[in-house]
Amino acid sequence: MTLAYIDYLILAIYFSFVLGIGWVLKRGVSTSEDFLTSGRSVPLWITSLAFVATNLGAQELIGMCASGAKYGIMTAHFYWVGAIPAMLFVGLFMMPFYYGSKARSVPEYLKLRFDEKTRGFNAITFAIMTVFSSGISMYALGLLFQLVLGWNFTASVILSAAIVLVYTYLGGLTSAIYNEVLQFFLIVFGFAPLAILAVNKSGGWQGIVNRVPATMVHSWKYMGNAADNPMGVDTIGMLIGLGFVLSFGYWCTNFLVVQRAMAADSMAAARKTPLVGAFPKMMLPFIVIIPGIAAVALSVTAGSGYSLPLKPGGGPDYDQVLTTLMAKFYPSGLLGFGLTGLMASFMSGMAGNVTAFNTVFTYDIYQSYIRKDAPDSHYLKVGRLTTIFGTLLSIGAAYLATLYNNIMDLLQLVFGFVNAPLLATFLLGMFWKRTTGHGAFAGLLSGTAAATLTHGLTIAEGKGGWISPIHEYRSTMAQNFWIASYAFFACLLVTVVVSLATRPKAESELTALVYGLTKIPHDPTPPWYQRPWPLAIAVSIVCFGLNFLFR
Amino acid sequence: MLDLRLPSGWFFLIMGVILTVLGMFSGYSAPLTAANANLYSGISMLIFGGVLLWLARRAS
Repeated sequence: MTLAYIDYLILAIYFSFVLGIGWVLKRGVSTSEDFLTSGRSVPLWITSLAFVATNLGAQELIGMCASGAKYGIMTAHFYWVGAIPAMLFVGLFMMPFYYGSKARSVPEYLKLRFDEKTRGFNAITFAIMTVFSSGISMYALGLLFQLVLGWNFTASVILSAAIVLVYTYLGGLTSAIYNEVLQFFLIVFGFAPLAILAVNKSGGWQGIVNRVPATMVHSWKYMGNAADNPMGVDTIGMLIGLGFVLSFGYWCTNFLVVQRAMAADSMAAARKTPLVGAFPKMMLPFIVIIPGIAAVALSVTAGSGYSLPLKPGGGPDYDQVLTTLMAKFYPSGLLGFGLTGLMASFMSGMAGNVTAFNTVFTYDIYQSYIRKDAPDSHYLKVGRLTTIFGTLLSIGAAYLATLYNNIMDLLQLVFGFVNAPLLATFLLGMFWKRTTGHGAFAGLLSGTAAATLTHGLTIAEGKGGWISPIHEYRSTMAQNFWIASYAFFACLLVTVVVSLATRPKAESELTALVYGLTKIPHDPTPPWYQRPWPLAIAVSIVCFGLNFLFR
Repeated sequence: MLDLRLPSGWFFLIMGVILTVLGMFSGYSAPLTAANANLYSGISMLIFGGVLLWLARRAS
């Protein structure tokens, strides 16, 4: 793929807007809370788009298109079964505690609800994970640009990291959130034309249905038996593993996304952030997954001029489907715009990691364990320095990934083990006042152990089974779903048992933290269609409709 | 605080102008399509940018 001057001009204009937004927002930052939590002042339409955009990094864009080409419309389960119910749940049931507790971060909520060790465990693992995942995505992007455009790996990594650093250093979380929204618009305008052109070229949806295998155009029909569908998962494993444990775990407890809702300007706006965000989220498969399926249809059509990109060793290289489609369908100009969208999604994904790392490091690690009672200006300074420090660590992690690829795979695996049980801890903590700090901590450790054990005892596509394989899954995806499920149930069980054996906190200490001891606000002012429940019902109806349409 | 509709509106307005002009006056060759993708995208960006700026103006 070659870029024209005009494409570089578009990229340059985007960079100047991003930096300009950071520069203007700098004036609004005078306290550490302005910098790290946006001073709880961001309007609803911005937080809800940022809530969706922060998860829409370049890796997701490329990965979803790749997965569309590999598995077909079943990939949409990640949206219509995974994300949407979880987003409704966090908005309706969990946000009152996150926002109402006045906690500044998810780990801080754990400290208020449970105890110091539970917070410490969560804060430290989260901080390490965000740095590494931002490094890993930086590595992926550097490789992609090297492969597709011939750009120098170091140059593209350093340039994009430097821009992210400047705008987050200047404007903090607000700047990251604003740029996420701009990025969201860029992705819609940059990739919707690709979906339209590619589907058109394939003869519309009906043309695709006629050409690709039937398993690729039905999301539910072949789910009865894991052997029948390309993902190798069955309905139960998918519903429990993806639909419940993994997606609820991600959307309801991951500070990266929850932080966006916590920056909203009121409790009502915080609750509605995921609910309003669910509308654009539901429509994303049409932009990110459908082009992948169309690519397969085109590649099996004789004389279409498109064939799936191949790996050097043979076999299709699905990760390059998106960029090869762009090269085939976009003229100079729109091509530059599309690539700018890709770059933007990568940068804002990284900015999301950096800002979440900042808040957790400054409040949950530095202020809790290193220096407790300093004036606020000190923490603002620490927050700013952490931005630099976090970016440098991410760059380091990216280079570590180039040197030791398998260490990174191992790390991601371990992160998965640590994350898997978290949902059980939060559900019990928020909805059962008897849950104790010792229970939560013991539950987290045993959930992580259960995940590790499941991985050691089962095997899929040659992965896992390092203790002794007693069961084989059809795909690593099915294996992941079950690892998460076992971790969840182990954590649930151990937390309950240990909680019953230990002394609970006094009820007076749990106000605003636990269901039943918290007054859920009923705001009667907005018209009925703007209230949380009607919004959630509208989302559910559309979501059911989409599942039905592509069944 | 900065109204995000302003910078986003200007950004899309500028992009819209660039792509519309490209679509009207230069070749728009892409290997697999004959559609003038620059022109159509450019016009939709112009409209989107304009709407954002109008909303921001109305709010202030």
